[in-house]
Amino acid sequence: MANLVARGQYGQVPRCARRCLHERSDRYISHLMSDLAIDIRNVVKRYDEHVAVSDLSLAVPQGSVYGLLGPNGAGKTTTIRMILNIIIPDSGSITLLGSPHRANGITDRIGYLPEERGLYKKMQVRRVLRFLAELKGVKRREADRRIDEWLHRLDLKNGEKDWGLAKVDELSRGMQQKVQFIGTLVHDPDLVILDEPFSGLDPINAQALKDAIVELKSRGKTVIFSTHLMDNAERLCDSVCIIARGRKVLDGGVAEVRGAHGGRMIALAVDGDGRRLVAPVLGDRRLISRVDDNNRYYEIELAPGADAQEVLRRVVATGAAIQRFELVLPSLHQIFLERVGARGIEPGMTDG
Amino acid sequence: MAKLLVVFRREYLERVRSKWFVLGTLLGPVFFILVAGAPRLIGGRGDGTRDVAHIEVIDATGAGLGARVVASLRERFPLSRAPYLTVVDESASAAAQDHAVLRVQRDEILGYLALGPATLAGDSVRYEGRNANAHNDVDAIRLAVRSQVLALRMEREGIDARKVAEFQRFPLELHTQRIGDKGREKANQLSAIFLGYAVALLLYMMIVIYGQAIMRSVLEEKTTRVAEVVVSSVNTDILLAGKILGVGLVAITQVLSWVVLSVLAMTYASPYLFGDQGRAAAVASAAGTVGAANSPGLGLLALGIPPIPLWAAVALFCCFVMGFIFYASLFAAVGAMVNSQEDVQQAATPVMLLLVSSVIFMGPIMANPGSTMARTMSMLPTSAPIIMPLRITLVPVPWFEVVGALSGVAAACAAAIWISGRVYRVGLLMYGKKPSLAELARWIKHAR
Repeated sequence: MANLVARGQYGQVPRCARRCLHERSDRYISHLMSDLAIDIRNVVKRYDEHVAVSDLSLAVPQGSVYGLLGPNGAGKTTTIRMILNIIIPDSGSITLLGSPHRANGITDRIGYLPEERGLYKKMQVRRVLRFLAELKGVKRREADRRIDEWLHRLDLKNGEKDWGLAKVDELSRGMQQKVQFIGTLVHDPDLVILDEPFSGLDPINAQALKDAIVELKSRGKTVIFSTHLMDNAERLCDSVCIIARGRKVLDGGVAEVRGAHGGRMIALAVDGDGRRLVAPVLGDRRLISRVDDNNRYYEIELAPGADAQEVLRRVVATGAAIQRFELVLPSLHQIFLERVGARGIEPGMTDG
Repeated sequence: MAKLLVVFRREYLERVRSKWFVLGTLLGPVFFILVAGAPRLIGGRGDGTRDVAHIEVIDATGAGLGARVVASLRERFPLSRAPYLTVVDESASAAAQDHAVLRVQRDEILGYLALGPATLAGDSVRYEGRNANAHNDVDAIRLAVRSQVLALRMEREGIDARKVAEFQRFPLELHTQRIGDKGREKANQLSAIFLGYAVALLLYMMIVIYGQAIMRSVLEEKTTRVAEVVVSSVNTDILLAGKILGVGLVAITQVLSWVVLSVLAMTYASPYLFGDQGRAAAVASAAGTVGAANSPGLGLLALGIPPIPLWAAVALFCCFVMGFIFYASLFAAVGAMVNSQEDVQQAATPVMLLLVSSVIFMGPIMANPGSTMARTMSMLPTSAPIIMPLRITLVPVPWFEVVGALSGVAAACAAAIWISGRVYRVGLLMYGKKPSLAELARWIKHAR
């Protein structure tokens, strides 16, 4: 529903959108509390000299795919580790699947794929997986059955070869990643937490991971993953939260977030010579606050109070041959840049 | 608890299954037996003073004593080269002796034995040779002469020669008993020393080997980043406990296998392993003279380990368990502190120094187990796990000292577990540079 609203009306939504968003998340908390997979309230985590996470509140609805976005060092991993009770917040509360996150047995319902992956190298694949499953309270026989199923499914066990019997370090990197993924899901968790799941994946495995996330959602599971690759988040997530320097910048449904930032973005394409002609217009700070030159077209962000029609008039007046002039919904990438700004950015962050 | 069992089982099974463990378990007893038998094997090669009967017997008695002594020596030292017999008149004895000196100088013989009328009278006998200062050699020769003089005299009194030989064929082992301030001490001081030494060394070895195994295992979980997956399922205290208990049981398994295998090997394989040495010992002891007891290694193994009282065995076991837990927790903390194999040895140095400090004093303590140093070292929590067992096997230790030492170690254990639990919790997910002491203190203080 939210999708439809945003798609049809990007021109009109902006002003009230942000307020609506807040109202909406308030509603989440008051009405849907029992339906939240993760409910983080006012969590703070300080290290010796710096604040890793500052007064962060998050609400992840059950059965959704949720993206935790932010530049490196924004506090994503710290947040995830606090959710998993690996590190303990200085203050604030975390509720998982309706129980306090330190409650007994709650971690058994969570599957976790850490950013830095690793398995016991000298251990047999099957034994590693059995170990991970048993740590989550799965009985041995049931674990063996599921491991078989998974190995088949990810083609680690077929007529020719059963990689389950090999040692972990005999496997290729890609296969090890598959094994790690099985380890995350072998106990059929209700909440799946993936820290930077796409980093280091080749396109084929990345596609498989996307499929898996969609499938988990279709089975009613909640998936939360952190990433700095905005494209993935935009395609996969129902909701996102952008954090930078330990603080929440914005959160909400992807469509709503984009809608809230709509109407201020213009895609402009001019032919060869036109690029030189429009340069003075694009440089006018009264009209345009930021230009992202994508080579084939510009993404232009209007200055506050500026009018898109005024921009169009000015561009036409330059005499440049216009191939495209379109009001567009900003991508998460654009929103991210706009809201987080260059200060939050580290090398490698924009490669998505 | 269920998760503790899962962690424990993984640590135990993965180690016990490894081929290195199996190899070490099988080769351990072979190594021990070789070490125990080495002095005998090397010493028994038939050179040096072991070739004790390779002498010239100069017989000036005119009564055939020389021939008897030669026969007796050959019987007593079947592995030695045979003695030469020179029968001379009393007047020619001195010349024969001078000639023998030359032969000794040319290394043709080890020494010479001059038998004369004084020998027959039971007064004196002369031995000169390269090994004239070796107590055992000279004693053995003296015994051989003495018994033959006796036999000769008995025959003169009309006792049948065969009967005389028969009379002499008895082993007469000497059982010694040391008496201390509190009455009788250990039955066999030599085997007590051997046992004490073996136990202390074994404890030390096990703590070093398996304590470091824990350290490497923690480091491995850290560097392979398995740690993060695991601690998202189980809390670090349980992980640490499971690791220490699992690896500890591996150590116990190994020691028990060694003991069982060694006993089996000694029972069934010793004749093959030691070959003629074993037979020689048997012959010698049947001849009723210097017997198996003169070969410490073999004799000990044949005698077996002297029985120690049950309470001492229990105390010994407690020493091992707590000592292991103490050092294992420290090693685990070290493993959690660092990030690479290069750093870990350096960071482990303080722990290793603590351990080694107890071992370097083993010599003096064995020489004087009642000294103040021995008592102090056996009470100090860092060295008690190794030195107390050593003392227990050497001398009677009052029960309150044992209990005191054990409580000290228990307290140290608790402290070590507390500290390393905290370092482990923080360090396991801390990458980057090695923490300074101040940082380490902060970890311990702030870990929750």
